[in-house]
This record gives sequence, structure tokens and C-alpha cells, in this order.
Amino acid sequence: MKKIILLIMVMINLYAAPRVGDNAIEFSLTDLYHESKIVSSSQYNGKVTLLNLWASWCSGCQAEMPLFVDLQNRYKKNNFEIITSSIDSSPSAAVDFLNEVDMQHTLTALYDEDKSLPKAYKCPGMPTSFLIGKDGKIVKVYVGSLDHNDIKELEATIQELVGN
Amino acid sequence: MYKLFLIALVLFTSGCSEHLVRVMPYEKEYFAQDKMSLAPVGARSEQEGHIFLIREASAGGESSFQGGCGCR
Repeated sequence: MKKIILLIMVMINLYAAPRVGDNAIEFSLTDLYHESKIVSSSQYNGKVTLLNLWASWCSGCQAEMPLFVDLQNRYKKNNFEIITSSIDSSPSAAVDFLNEVDMQHTLTALYDEDKSLPKAYKCPGMPTSFLIGKDGKIVKVYVGSLDHNDIKELEATIQELVGN
Repeated sequence: MYKLFLIALVLFTSGCSEHLVRVMPYEKEYFAQDKMSLAPVGARSEQEGHIFLIREASAGGESSFQGGCGCR
């Protein structure tokens, strides 16, 4: 009986999604605006980041994107960076949408053609955002679109992490 | 030993069936297209979409994650 319980526990752990306190999943994805440029998660070591998994066909993702642009504008990128990773089947759809809401290309935009990040994180909804600390560990997970109040709460946490 | 093998087999196969049956939230691109809307009338479609989201919440909705109460 003990062996069965142990087996079940091991299997549950194998299928478990990364949680708060776990290491963020490493990635190496192409830049949405420059196809030849590869962006790796190791470039953000020692920096507070918000990893946003989104798609242009997701209405909640569309709603929160302008809020992320405003948020990024309030922080220097060497302290805090928002990384958006699109899972659109066509990158042009994502670029078209971002050109409307983020004309200055304030946000770091990546393209995840294989949907590797949502699969690895076992995303329960779209969009999903992960606040990642300087140590590379997940600090908070936001499932669903963020509104103004959520952004205020998020900003307070960012300030704590950044150390302002 | 046989029982253990049987339990492992059931768990593994049920894990596979879960992946085969459930459309994950990040795989709903084609469901999000206008032509997939059940109601051609905009206002009605929005209302039905809201109900759909609440109903879908436990498995991850199209745009936002809800607890099933429809209050968000």
C-alpha cells in the first residue's frame, strides 16, 4: 500500500505545474519583431521580470496589453522587464496587434510557435503571467487578464522585489 | 506486483486520455474566431460568451480565469 501511495505521489509531482517558489522555466525563443534574433531566459538573470503568455485571438490578452505598456513605461528595463510571449499560429497577427497598442515596442515581444511555455507551465487559462524574481524563482502567478487594481497590486510587489 | 503494474497502467492511460480529450486554453485559437460564434447577433453572442466563460472556468476559459460564480 505504501508503495502505491509513493507511486501516486511521484506521478502527481511529475504532472504538477510549476508553482510559486519554483524555478521559472528556461526558454530560448525568437524575437517577434526580428525573426533572426534569439532571446534566452538567461539574459534576464538577476532581473525582475513579468513573463506574459498571450495570443492576439484572446480577448483578455488584448485588454491587459495596454496596461503592461503603461507599467513598463514606469520602470527602467534594467530593473524590471515585461516579456510577452505570443503563441499565435501566425506571428504577423501578434505583430499587427502589438503595433496598435505598443507602437514604441516598449515590451519585449517573443514568439513561441510551438507553445512550449504554456505547455511547460501547464497554463490553466489565457492569458497567464508569471512574476519572476531576481533569483529566477516564480513569485506570483496571474491566471486571467489583469485589470487596473491587479496592476496596482502587482506594482507594489515589483517595487518590493526591485528594492525601491 | 501485478496490482502495482495494473494501477500504474490505469494512471498512465488516464493521463493520456486527459491530454487527448481536453482542449487546453492555449489551443483555443480556432474557437476564438468569429465564425465559431454560435450567435450571429453581437449582443446575444456576448451574453452567451459570458455564460460560456463561467461554465468553462474550471478548465480555463477563453480569456479570463473565473471560479464559476460569474462575478468577475
